[in-house]
Amino acid sequence: MKDTRCEPVRRELEELTLNEAFSDSTSEHLSSCAECREFQRQQMKLRQIVSSLGTVNAPADFDFRLRARLAADSQRPSFRYWSFAVKGLATVAVLVVFGVGVVVVWQRGHEQAPIAKTQPPQTPAGPKQPERHQTIPAPAPEVTPTIAINNEPKRKADRSFVVRPKRSLTAVVDLSSERANIISNTMPALNTGTIFPIDASLQSLRVSLDDGRGNARTISFPTVSFGSQRVLTNANQFAPKGVW
Amino acid sequence: MNTLTTINELAFAPGLQQDTVEDTTSDHALLEATRSGDQDAFAELVSRYRNQITSYIYRMTNDYDGAVDLAQETFVRVYRARDRYQRSYAFSTYIYRIATNLAISELRKRKRRKLVSLTGFFQPTDGGEPKELNPPDGRPLQDAELVDTERRNAVQRAIGTLPEKYRAPLILRDVDGRSYDEIAAILETSEGTVKSRISRARGFLREKMRAYL
Repeated sequence: MKDTRCEPVRRELEELTLNEAFSDSTSEHLSSCAECREFQRQQMKLRQIVSSLGTVNAPADFDFRLRARLAADSQRPSFRYWSFAVKGLATVAVLVVFGVGVVVVWQRGHEQAPIAKTQPPQTPAGPKQPERHQTIPAPAPEVTPTIAINNEPKRKADRSFVVRPKRSLTAVVDLSSERANIISNTMPALNTGTIFPIDASLQSLRVSLDDGRGNARTISFPTVSFGSQRVLTNANQFAPKGVW
Repeated sequence: MNTLTTINELAFAPGLQQDTVEDTTSDHALLEATRSGDQDAFAELVSRYRNQITSYIYRMTNDYDGAVDLAQETFVRVYRARDRYQRSYAFSTYIYRIATNLAISELRKRKRRKLVSLTGFFQPTDGGEPKELNPPDGRPLQDAELVDTERRNAVQRAIGTLPEKYRAPLILRDVDGRSYDEIAAILETSEGTVKSRISRARGFLREKMRAYL
């Protein structure tokens, strides 16, 4: 069983130097405690071995190499100057990148704003963004998904809605809900100032087409869901054959 | 006032050890003289501490060439910072602190590099113990000096396996014979922490050196 006096004795043995004498109480304890005696023996042996390591001398050319190093060091620009220059360059680079980024973002913002207000070009290209225009241009690539589907010239059902460029046509789209805006047929086809509400696809769709010769057709669709081919097929039943 | 500006002057510089610089000149006075441009004073400082610093860093890193390089770096840093040196603590504390930081940085770099032990190449494929690179000498040891040499090598290797925070205080205390308060100033910690770490380090060494004790 370890004596409670072992710990302070061992602490004293740890802190003493090799040639330092023990205290009387430590000597007395060591005479009666075999474990502490063994600890003291091992401790002394270990410290003698470690202290015998001695000093390792520097090589003979140490001074020469050090002077060469100092001479080379003095010819380089000072560390402070170099550090300051690097920091300054880094700051300038960051400011330049930031400024370029601001200019690019500003320019893009200005480019997109006028595009949003004008009608898209009159090309029979496929639908792009599903922007909800209330008037169908002739032809109108930027239309709602419902309208965009109708504009695909390959679809049989879309013949009703394909407007040929040589005719000046206007189209009116009526969304039968309180949110839908009805635009009069006097509005020019290129007016794209109004955006369809988001849930337009859930509402029934009525399209009136007037070819300017007094021929007008109004076609009404029930609620159109995405990919509803049957609806479009049914819609053709209302289109008079041979008109388009 | 001697000022070295080119490497060519090295060949023509007078032998520094022959100059009449009194050994009793304190380290502070030598550094003050260095600050004024006296290269001889700095050379005297170097001659006083080069062996100690080289030896200390060698004990820390177990690499002699690396220790010489780091010892030179220590003196270069002392020279660069000569204008900022303050006399609030002893010069030996100051230079040992720089050397300690450099040695610890080197040890950490090695850890990151994860140097592969050469004994790994001699690891048997049947899962046995890895063999030492040095083949054992079958002849009986007859010279006590050889035994001492082997023991010192063993303790140097054992010190090299200590964690870095235990290595520095042990070397400063048991190899260099420095006092606890001096070690605490070098390591920028308290005396109690120094004593505790030295005790732990000796405990580690006792386990590793059991065959030699």
